[in-house]
Amino acid sequence: MTLCQLFLQSEAAYACVSELGELGLVQFRDLNPDVNAFQRKFVNEVRRCDEMERKLRFLEKEIKKDGIPMLDTGDNPDAPVPREMIDLEATFEKLENEMKEVNGNTEALKRNYLELTELKHILRKTQTFFEEAEIHHVQAMHDPSLTEENFGLLGEEQSHRAGQALRLGFVAGVIVREKIPAFERMLWRVCRGNVFLRQAEIDTPLEDPVTGDQVNKSVFIIFFQGEQLKSRVKKICEGFRATLYPCPETPAERREMAIGVMTRIEDLNTVLGQTQDHRHRVLVAAARNIKIWFIKVRKIKAIYYTLNMLNLDVTQKCLIAECWCPVQDLDRIQQALRRGTERSGSSVPSILNRMKTKEVPPTYNRNNKFTQGFQNIIDAYGISTYQEVNPAPWAIISFPFLFAVMFGDFGHGFIMFLVGLYLVTREKQLQAQKINNEIFDMFFGGRYIILLMGFFSMYTGLIYNDIFSKSVKLFDSSWDPHDPQTNLRYTAGTLNGSVSLTLDPNVSFIKGGPYPFGLDPVWALSSNKITALNSFKMKLSVIFGVSQMALGVVLSIVNHRFFNRKLDIYCGFIPQVIFLISIFGYLVCEIFIKWIIFTVKDAPTAPNLLIGLIQMFLFQTEEKNIWYSGQRGFQAFLVVLAGICVPWMWLIKPLYQRHQQKHGQYKYQQVPTGNLLDDSEGEEVVYHSDSERSHYDPEPEEFDFGEAFTHQSIHTIEYCLGCVSHTASYLRLWALSLAHAQLSEVLWNMVMRIALQIDGYGGAFLLAAVFSFWACATVVVLILMEGLSAFLHTLRLHWVEFNSKFYDGQGYKFHPFSFDDLSEYSIED
Amino acid sequence: MMNYMPEMTFNVDHGYLEGLLRGFKSGILRQNDYLNLVQCETLEDLKLHLQSTDYGNFLANEPSPLTVSVIDDKLKEKLVVEFQHLRNQCVEPLSTFLDYITYSYMIDNIILLITGILHQRPINELIPKCHPLGSFEQMEAIHIASTPAELYNAVLVDTPIAPYFLDCISEQDLDEMNIEIIRNTLYKAYLEDFHSFCRELGGATAEAMCEALAFEADRRAFIITINSFGTELTKEDRAKLYPRCGDLYPYGLQLLAKADDYDQVRQVADIYGHYKELFEGSGTGPGEKTLEDKFFEQEVNFMKNSFMQQFQFGVFYAYVKLKEQENRNIIWIAECVAQRHRAKIDSYIPIF
Repeated sequence: MTLCQLFLQSEAAYACVSELGELGLVQFRDLNPDVNAFQRKFVNEVRRCDEMERKLRFLEKEIKKDGIPMLDTGDNPDAPVPREMIDLEATFEKLENEMKEVNGNTEALKRNYLELTELKHILRKTQTFFEEAEIHHVQAMHDPSLTEENFGLLGEEQSHRAGQALRLGFVAGVIVREKIPAFERMLWRVCRGNVFLRQAEIDTPLEDPVTGDQVNKSVFIIFFQGEQLKSRVKKICEGFRATLYPCPETPAERREMAIGVMTRIEDLNTVLGQTQDHRHRVLVAAARNIKIWFIKVRKIKAIYYTLNMLNLDVTQKCLIAECWCPVQDLDRIQQALRRGTERSGSSVPSILNRMKTKEVPPTYNRNNKFTQGFQNIIDAYGISTYQEVNPAPWAIISFPFLFAVMFGDFGHGFIMFLVGLYLVTREKQLQAQKINNEIFDMFFGGRYIILLMGFFSMYTGLIYNDIFSKSVKLFDSSWDPHDPQTNLRYTAGTLNGSVSLTLDPNVSFIKGGPYPFGLDPVWALSSNKITALNSFKMKLSVIFGVSQMALGVVLSIVNHRFFNRKLDIYCGFIPQVIFLISIFGYLVCEIFIKWIIFTVKDAPTAPNLLIGLIQMFLFQTEEKNIWYSGQRGFQAFLVVLAGICVPWMWLIKPLYQRHQQKHGQYKYQQVPTGNLLDDSEGEEVVYHSDSERSHYDPEPEEFDFGEAFTHQSIHTIEYCLGCVSHTASYLRLWALSLAHAQLSEVLWNMVMRIALQIDGYGGAFLLAAVFSFWACATVVVLILMEGLSAFLHTLRLHWVEFNSKFYDGQGYKFHPFSFDDLSEYSIED
Repeated sequence: MMNYMPEMTFNVDHGYLEGLLRGFKSGILRQNDYLNLVQCETLEDLKLHLQSTDYGNFLANEPSPLTVSVIDDKLKEKLVVEFQHLRNQCVEPLSTFLDYITYSYMIDNIILLITGILHQRPINELIPKCHPLGSFEQMEAIHIASTPAELYNAVLVDTPIAPYFLDCISEQDLDEMNIEIIRNTLYKAYLEDFHSFCRELGGATAEAMCEALAFEADRRAFIITINSFGTELTKEDRAKLYPRCGDLYPYGLQLLAKADDYDQVRQVADIYGHYKELFEGSGTGPGEKTLEDKFFEQEVNFMKNSFMQQFQFGVFYAYVKLKEQENRNIIWIAECVAQRHRAKIDSYIPIF
């Protein structure tokens, strides 16, 4: 990674930046951080792009409204030349205007249509009102009490009305259904009950011409008497946005009007259809190109956005850019610049200069699709400090492996492997589908991790001899059941007749040599399987844990040497290694030796490792735990050695630094680019402005003994306690693997086994049902949930236990300017 | 238990909303943003800068050329969307509290509408000018009323502010003077009711809100008095308009009721330390801030302080008030930019 300065001719700048964007290897630095967004040079162009985007969004919205599919060819057109921008603008302008005109027309037509439909409904519904009124009128003559009941609300007004029915005025209209109660109430209040309202719901929802929403409306008709009431009623109608329509009084006129309305509706329908067709044609044409237009506009916008970050030369002839770029790719960048210059037809080439800087460059890890997932896991903890050891390559193996130790089951691992395999083999198709589901993205992004985790789980499953919690007999068992008393082979009779039998390893384990691979299947039958496995898995956990931590500590020397931190090697790395090895390394050795030298015959006298470790610290090892002569002395030596390491780590570094500082030799050692500057020597160093530059280069900090001492104390305590607690923490490997095995065993015993015990056809049906339940529970609980839990624990082991030994993670990521990631420049999507 | 320590259970019901609100609050523009905004040359610049703030793309879909009224509408819309979201999510008693906040907008809307009708403006023209937070169903039918009694019986009786209106029914007809009286009577009743509601809520809410509402009440009392000089309003009528829930009540209000000119009002303010400062720092000359701005500034301070305390509803009130001040600021700047009248562009009231 190097800081470069680019001199771009003003006329070639656009083309060059466009080429660099296609390349995606350059991270531009903002050279005008103090300038407002709207005071930058190319703000007008950015604004034009915004405007174009707005028009495109408008078109997209219209296209979506009509449900026309948008063609996504996956094409990636080059960024258009600035000249083309004007064409694009004109095209969009034309389309937008056309769309607006069409929309305006449609709206007017629809409004017209709505009015006519409403009128149609009014005529239809009021017909019934009038008919009812007539019936009541007749009834009222015969039976006044009925009227009283029906029109009780109106009280004695009603008889008045019945007598002079012909002199009543009325208005008819349509109102949104939700407003009816308030409408009715206000009518009542304002007119003091002197009006009569009838309403009927329109069954089909009507379309609102502006928003296109479906609205439920009701027809109402209000009868009243006198001009004053009329004006009030009209005002209320207006207030509630009810639309009033003229409604003739006689049935004949109404019928005539209805017929007229129907014919007009039909005419309108044809016109509407034509307008819709036109609109559809325009939109289909636009839909074909809209994705490409979007990409083009965003590219232009991205380019101008980047150009805004550049500095203008004093002579206005060229633009100056500063950027980070990988040293290895300088040639490709040069080529891209040449292409850009050629394309723009400029005669003066663009110049790329490397610059020297004390600033820390961004971290750029080249990844392929396989390593990307693992790198993401590491990056989520912290982006590595520039040129620091990256833990990701180790994680590729250690991550799935530690996961598998916890998830060890061949069957579950196989299912996971298949899922991973599916995602990996179909990755192109799945990528093309662009499924925007957060959970799916998570799984898809980690597809190679899932694949490896599944594969490793199959391996550990075989070692544990667990396939859906059942064991298989791949080889002959090394155990041959013999009676410990008589030393005779158990017969089939004894085996069938007794609930449990003891197998004494001294007599039964006689075939010689252990089981060839993994766990002997005979353990699956034994009642002390868990105890035996626990001992085995705990020891394994400690071994894996200590080895991984040791690897972490060893990696720290690579960092120290690379950054030239000699003091850290002598006062950090060496005591750390000694501390770790003298306690936990010794423990691991003991584990191996115990496995090798103690056989079945020594079982009663074998020393206890845990007690031994505790007694080692107390300097009072029991006779039982003594393996070899001089053990007490050696162990005491180890403990003292580890004890010495503590003040060594703690005090020497800060004291030495203080000593150096007192004698004027102190140099700030933490400049991480220490030996990087050597290879960039002899190059021209041009700063665009020295005064501006000053705030980029922080002065080396003054040495502060108190701070250094505190820091070192924290560091030492963290490491020493960490070694103990982290080793204990690795026991989660055992705990989770135990939990997983037990859970799957319980599931089998409680579910499948019951169904398998039932004979006959009923058993077959039951088995089918129970199997589906068992299969679902296996996938959901054992694979998904347990898998997630094991994954999180593995993550923790890597982040906390492993990374803390050497990984700083103080860097920041390299974000090249690239067209692949255009979303950054767009507000939506 | 609940009644003694509302803080303990506050988060069960209102914790999410308070968190949300504090998030909204951090989106309020800062001094830095204002410094950038006042440098804008055109409204497009303003839009570009607002894009980089919490406002985001709220103007992105507006075709050019941009006008101040579009910005105003969009600003209001954003506040209303946020407020409605809070209102839809909340439970009692916060929901009533939020409703109380909207009542003041309803009062403003009613006054706006009847004033408009008095001046023979068509109702369709007036409706868009109403604040959407204070809109209610019967609002548009307001023009059927020609007397306060009618207004009450026909339109307002179903609205929550109906009780406030009871004092105004006796007014004879709607003229300009009466409308002002109605406005202030409504406000007085509203503030007193809100004040007592907050006091009943108790706890930290009561502390923060009673202080804020007392300030609001006193401000109105001062403004009413100052504005009444030279009008036909009698002193007795004026005294009836003073909200009686502020620090001025009762002694200060009695003095204010007797005041005849600005200096006498000032003498009343001198008795109260915090109002004394406001009157001293204000003036009408160039470079001086008006009393109104001084009051606004003081309000902003009050509102900012209310964010200092947790587990109380005052923050909701404060947020709406601060946001409103911010909208006023942006509109002020936008107007200055649009009219190329930059001399007074700096007289916005910074919040943070």
